[in-house]
Amino acid sequence: MQSGTFHTNYASDMALRPYWPQRIRIVLVIVLVLAFPWFADRYWLNLANTIGIAAIAAIGLNILVGYTGQISIGHGGFLAVGAFSAGLLAARLNMPMWITVPVASLFTAGVGAIFGLPSARLKGLYLAIATLAAQEIIIWVLNHGKLLGIGESLALPRETTNIFGIPMIGNTDFSFYWVIMGSLVLTVIFVSNLFRTRAGRAFVAIRDQDIAAQVIGVDLFTYKLLAFATSSFFAGLAGALTAHYRGIISWERFTIDTSILYLAMIIIGGLGSVSGAIYGAIFMTLLPAILSNLARALSGTVPQINSYLPFMQQGAFGLAIILFLIFEPEGIVKMWRNVKDYFRLWPFSY
Amino acid sequence: MLKGQRRIAIIGLLMALALLLAACGGQAPATGGGAPATGATAPAGEPAGGGAAASGEPIKIGAIFDLTGATGDVGTPYSQGQIAYIEWRNANGGVNGRPLQLFSQDYAYEVPKAEELYTQFVTQDGVVAFSGWGTGDTEALKGKIAEDKIPFISASYSAALANPAETPYNFIVAPTYSDQLIIGMKWALEDWKAKGNSDAPKFAYLVNDSPFGRSPLADGTAFAQANGVETPLEVPSPRGATDLTPQLTQIKDFGANYVFLQNVSSPAALALKNAKSLGLDIQFVCLNWCANELLIKLAGADAEGVVGTIPFSPAGDGAKVALDYAKEKGIDYGGADSTFVQGWTAMSILVAGIEKTLADGKELTGENIKATLETMGAIDTGGVTQPIVFSSTDHAGSKALRIFRVENGAWVPITDFITAK
Repeated sequence: MQSGTFHTNYASDMALRPYWPQRIRIVLVIVLVLAFPWFADRYWLNLANTIGIAAIAAIGLNILVGYTGQISIGHGGFLAVGAFSAGLLAARLNMPMWITVPVASLFTAGVGAIFGLPSARLKGLYLAIATLAAQEIIIWVLNHGKLLGIGESLALPRETTNIFGIPMIGNTDFSFYWVIMGSLVLTVIFVSNLFRTRAGRAFVAIRDQDIAAQVIGVDLFTYKLLAFATSSFFAGLAGALTAHYRGIISWERFTIDTSILYLAMIIIGGLGSVSGAIYGAIFMTLLPAILSNLARALSGTVPQINSYLPFMQQGAFGLAIILFLIFEPEGIVKMWRNVKDYFRLWPFSY
Repeated sequence: MLKGQRRIAIIGLLMALALLLAACGGQAPATGGGAPATGATAPAGEPAGGGAAASGEPIKIGAIFDLTGATGDVGTPYSQGQIAYIEWRNANGGVNGRPLQLFSQDYAYEVPKAEELYTQFVTQDGVVAFSGWGTGDTEALKGKIAEDKIPFISASYSAALANPAETPYNFIVAPTYSDQLIIGMKWALEDWKAKGNSDAPKFAYLVNDSPFGRSPLADGTAFAQANGVETPLEVPSPRGATDLTPQLTQIKDFGANYVFLQNVSSPAALALKNAKSLGLDIQFVCLNWCANELLIKLAGADAEGVVGTIPFSPAGDGAKVALDYAKEKGIDYGGADSTFVQGWTAMSILVAGIEKTLADGKELTGENIKATLETMGAIDTGGVTQPIVFSSTDHAGSKALRIFRVENGAWVPITDFITAK
């Protein structure tokens, strides 16, 4: 805990980043994000975009799981709703991206609220299974998508990928980087501030003790639904961005594995923390990529490594989760806080 | 306690830094050298061909394989066939004296991983041609493939990829799944008549619940209806199922005489076993990915009498070269001869295009390889397939295949080459 800070007005009291080391760090991050695409090649841009989209969805899931305490294993399904609603709008009605993405996000929020209805009665594991049903129902509908006129995969017309009429041609990884990072920044600002509002505090109150929350006047049902809707909104945003970025989508991208992966992201990153969700997204996306690059680099000296790589990647995923649960259940965000605390008092730490 | 936590935090930070450095390191110099999945310096002293090991600037080819995912059972021998072909070629002088260098990795049948690896191999390693695997990921990549102008073969024979007007750089090296299904139906109709029936048989599909499984069904149903067969029943076989009795009961209640299996070997073998224990009297017809030795190995005696459309016959001269090489090198592909030969032959078709491009003195670019494949005429695969012919209007290079049947635990050809048309 930082001490010795005295606020003399409400503005400084309410600031998100009141201390100068925080401000320096955020400036560094901004510079890094702005400079990165000018130096990175397409492979790294692709990874950065994947991380950006994953971070938006993970922040969304963290609203529900980390802040409101409602376990959801249906996040992959909500991503699919966003992706396919944006895809259908673009493919059938030729709507441009700047319309499809917000519309798809709002639609997903609605779908999320509907699937959040069981949360009125169910808690904990029971709710988890209810959201599992959401995941399976959504994927089943898309998989047997004759109902919606979807084939095996849905291709989005290239010309719908434009922003206010300005087409995104050329190196799409590069142009999408700005769209995705822009969306991520807006998401971060929105969610960071959400928990300074009545709704956000109500979410946290529900997580900490739902009965107590009810006693102090929080309408459990409304706020639980609101949490589901908000969380799904960001899932929808991430899904819609995926659809336009990849150009072709199929349900195979949004299976239960995806839902589990997002849960792993926020657990490893840190439950109930915006930056934790981002750390988790970075970690879970880069871990396999780095392992495979490591294997590539080593395969000159250890030729057999390529045949072990698939098993190493699977093992690393499990190992990461186990090690985090044992050594730092609060996730990367706590580790980073420990490091900061250590250096703040260095060399006179106690 | 606090101290311990802090130490862990520091170690964590260091690990994160190390990973970051490794990532950056991978980005900068390693891109040039890359890491050959198969050594550019192949073992010398091969008997066949007698050529010396290749030298010179390597020809880079990218590949993604499914070794650990949902289709890993057939993906593994297929990958071994492809890698073995590259090694064999390099040991026998390479292509125009230049070695082939294969950049390959497992992608576990996951679309995002396929996208990541494809981007890495194409942009960082500069591969000039690519060998893919599944239907879902090949579909997902088709836009990028056309943009990057990378000639792309895959083990997905979805008819949706055969039209160069839509997917100009995708090449299909076997009869499409639709053609395979229609050929299978043609055989079934004749077989039904030969058994002395005058009415129309009933068909059903038992397919992998994925784009791969459903790819040929619309075309197959259209063919069936045109031939007076009632609309076939479509039964999806869920991924990872351990019992297909409910699905088979549904087929039994429908009264199907022929069931077409579009799935990989393990679930197909399960279906055969379940059908046996249900005592079903139904003729099973396996399309490509379950019509292989693995099916016989897994289903044992229950596979007897199953019919398969095998596009890559393990019986030709070309197959003998592949199988002999595997025996000599001790490559253990789990007895899946036809799948190993399929991987080997698919790669050989792609390499034939590269070889001709170089022989014509053209620069090795995706555009030139595509143009060569479209104009070079028939590619001989040594009897494994009918000669493969691509044209600028049709990228389905192969139209015909032979029907095989399991007799005494081995696939035996029972027809000559049949086309779907």
